[in-house]
Amino acid sequence: MAEVEFRDVTRRYAGDVVALNGLNLTVSDGEFLILVGPSGCGKSTALRLLAGLDKPTTGEIRIGGAVVNNLAPGQRDIAMVFQNYALYPHMSVYRNLAYGLRQRRTPRAEIERRVRETADLLQISELLDRKPGQLSGGQRQRVAMGRALVRKPQAFLLDEPLSNLDAKLRNQVRGDLKRLHRELPVTSIYVTHDQVEAMTLGDRLCVMSGGEVQQIGTTDDIYNRPANTFVAAFMGSPPMNLIPAEIRSGILHIGSAAVTTVPSPDGPVIVGARPEHLQLHSRYADGMVPARVDFVEPLGSHVLVTAVVDVRDDAAAGATAEARVIVQAPAGTELESGARIGLALPAERTYFFDSETGVAGCHRERISL
Amino acid sequence: MTTTQLPHTETSAPQTQPERRRLRLRLPFSPWHLVLIPLAFILLVPLLWMLVTSLETEGEANRFPPVLIPERPRFENYSEAWAAAPFGHFFLNSALVTLVVLASNLVICSLAGYAFARIRFLGRGALFVTLMATLMVPFQVTMIPVFLIVKWFGDNIWAGLGIDHIGALMLPNLATAFGIFFLRQFFQTVPVELEEAARVDGTSRLGVLVKIVLPLSLPALSTLAALTVLTSWNDFLWPLIVITSQDQMTVPLGLSYFQGAHRVNWPLLMAANVMSLLPMLLVFIGAQRYFVQSVASTGLKG
Amino acid sequence: MPEDVAARRPLALLRRVGRTENVAGWALVSPGVVLIGVFGLLPVLMSLQLSFQQSDLLTPQTPWVGLENYRKLADDPVFLEAIKHTIIYTALFVPGTMLVGLFVAAAMNRSVRFISVYRTAAYITMAVSTISQGIIFLWLTDRDYGLVNAALNAAGIPSQPFLASPSQALYVIVAMTIWGWTGFSVIVYLAALQGVPAELHEAAAIDGASAFTRFRTITVPLLGPANLFLLVWLTINALQLFDEVYATTRGGPLRATTVIVYYLWDRAFVQFDAGYAAAMAYALFVVILVITAVQFRIARRYGHMS
Repeated sequence: MAEVEFRDVTRRYAGDVVALNGLNLTVSDGEFLILVGPSGCGKSTALRLLAGLDKPTTGEIRIGGAVVNNLAPGQRDIAMVFQNYALYPHMSVYRNLAYGLRQRRTPRAEIERRVRETADLLQISELLDRKPGQLSGGQRQRVAMGRALVRKPQAFLLDEPLSNLDAKLRNQVRGDLKRLHRELPVTSIYVTHDQVEAMTLGDRLCVMSGGEVQQIGTTDDIYNRPANTFVAAFMGSPPMNLIPAEIRSGILHIGSAAVTTVPSPDGPVIVGARPEHLQLHSRYADGMVPARVDFVEPLGSHVLVTAVVDVRDDAAAGATAEARVIVQAPAGTELESGARIGLALPAERTYFFDSETGVAGCHRERISL
Repeated sequence: MTTTQLPHTETSAPQTQPERRRLRLRLPFSPWHLVLIPLAFILLVPLLWMLVTSLETEGEANRFPPVLIPERPRFENYSEAWAAAPFGHFFLNSALVTLVVLASNLVICSLAGYAFARIRFLGRGALFVTLMATLMVPFQVTMIPVFLIVKWFGDNIWAGLGIDHIGALMLPNLATAFGIFFLRQFFQTVPVELEEAARVDGTSRLGVLVKIVLPLSLPALSTLAALTVLTSWNDFLWPLIVITSQDQMTVPLGLSYFQGAHRVNWPLLMAANVMSLLPMLLVFIGAQRYFVQSVASTGLKG
Repeated sequence: MPEDVAARRPLALLRRVGRTENVAGWALVSPGVVLIGVFGLLPVLMSLQLSFQQSDLLTPQTPWVGLENYRKLADDPVFLEAIKHTIIYTALFVPGTMLVGLFVAAAMNRSVRFISVYRTAAYITMAVSTISQGIIFLWLTDRDYGLVNAALNAAGIPSQPFLASPSQALYVIVAMTIWGWTGFSVIVYLAALQGVPAELHEAAAIDGASAFTRFRTITVPLLGPANLFLLVWLTINALQLFDEVYATTRGGPLRATTVIVYYLWDRAFVQFDAGYAAAMAYALFVVILVITAVQFRIARRYGHMS
């Protein structure tokens, strides 16, 4: 049983810096869980606490049901792949792979067998006699993975293992990782700031920000049912558009335009819609959001139009407020900068968030005017 | 480091599961202090003992087992030591020599280092290698001929540069191959684009060095300065060879003569020693960063 | 204008630029070159010449004696003894300083409060002049009133003559110079230790290695470059030992601490036998070169330079 559990784990530093605040997370046996978020969100802290490289201020960490708070990293039966690989530069690849097994007094024949087996799996068998300094970045990455795999640990910890690879290699290794996990389903906890990696690799994602969990769920959950504005804006590229609006007398108003009826209480609200769900109309009509084209970016398969929406509230005296909105349009769309267009909110994919807390509100079923 | 407690964590929450009980000392500070304090103390004992003795009377010093704390700190030892030998001259000479050698090295090694780093001139490679070869030659090989050369300068050009004058202490050290090597290494790391931009604007080669490169090289210059000051001030063998008159002596040499004259008056000798050591100790503490950097960088590259 | 046309032609332009570059280069380099040439290169040649002559540094007459000085050197019992003393000194001083330096650096390689104060205490021996060192240790090891003998007595060991004893003096100088060079050694090792990325220790910890095993299998092997540097630097300095001997024993008692450079200095500037001394200096020079080359060769063979 190699379930990993964080129970109310907090890590506070001197000076009231809270790196991790009350993390509650259970990773099931064999699951590939991704901790994703911007730098400083606490994901690396959580990983290091799990590894035993740091001690939590409060809370319990369990591996396979046993509390490991007071166990040294070497006693937790976990393996870690570091961002910079941390390969022992003075040892050959073989000895790098064998190091952990030797510390556990594994018999030499067994070490030989497992090292060769792992090397075959990762296709680094020809490199066993070389030193890390003689390897390319991609090869080093595989050796780092091998060093973790050969130990057959209860849990794998991966700390941004792809961030030092170039784009092409990254895509390839991502695929390798997915295949590897399918063949050897070890409980894995993977840290990254790259949302593409997170969405493609993870069984489940844990989105974090400022030391706190924002949402835990599958890619589908996170993408289609974001729990708050942070998750909505963080995942997806280009990110979800978040437009400040107001509901008056049951009607959604964006700027001065009355858009649609909404079964929500009156008051300020944040409306969310993804670029690929908004519909762009070259001529404004009632029920749409009026906008003015800023610039157009052709991407080959489609076009991204950045437009400006007036969100000023006529009722309150105040300065002009504008929101930038990105909408996806079919390839070949040509628009002049400054042209007036209309944006239609999608029927099922419009999100409402509390304007103060950012928490997701009810999910619109259908829009009508 | 699993059995020691990490120094900055807050106390962890009580564990709910029984586990192997390990002896854990709850100290308000890291247990390493218990190792580091005695270690630092042992390293400093010679200096501390020197200080203690310098404040004792002769009677107290000549007692066995030794007196660890004098009855009354005898500061008069210092004024007596100062009066017993021309320390004023010693310090002045050391200061003069060090200052001149420092200024000269900074200027000349900068010029040469820059030329070697950035100017492609005929014979540059061979010249550099030859200069660096001199670093391999120990001082003992050159000291006798340099003595003769300096004597020649003294007899033929200006007595102030010759035997038994502080000029002779300055002359051979006005430029060092190490200084040129060190600054050349550093200048090579200054982005060429900055210099090229200045030259496009019309600055001369020398102007580029003075206005662009040198201001960016302050760390390297400070490091070279720190090393030069220390080696120059503490130099002993060369002054021993060249200087015989007390009024031309530098501090180490003067101290050595003081030792010869007051061999048995330990408190007096220690007071003189403290006075002699103090300037360099202060310089070292103040510029510690540069000393550490200079040694560490040569050590890691070598 | 014919002049412009000529200037624009690439070859002529290159020649012009080349000329100014040469002028500029040599102009900037010349003060340094002249000084080092006069006081660095010229003496090397003069010394060689001197070693084939007989000179007393005062009279201008310096008759040529060929290899006589070198022959005398090989038969000189004092010189041979000096070699023995120098070798013993070097063999003890170099490993001693490295070990002490490594030990202290390992202790200082952590970030507790006041660590900079502790490190300063370790480094500061670097700033102490050799004469000061000698005076302090003469006093510390004084037979009748020294602190060391007081400590020994307290432990039940009788007082030792130390620097006054022909059999002990050299070893006391070894201890004294180790103390003096500890600061330097600590700086080098501390920098090397800090150069070991923390991640390597973390990876080793996760792999199950204890703190001591990590030190032995990860840290120490990565100290290769630092070890080599210290080995070479300390050996070169050990072979040139002079100041500390002058400050304490003046080569005695009974020549027990006469090392090569002390004898050299004595011959050149006290006995005024400069030609002979120059030959000795050259012999020392060759020895230093050979030992350094051997050390580099051995290091490369064992390939600990990662």
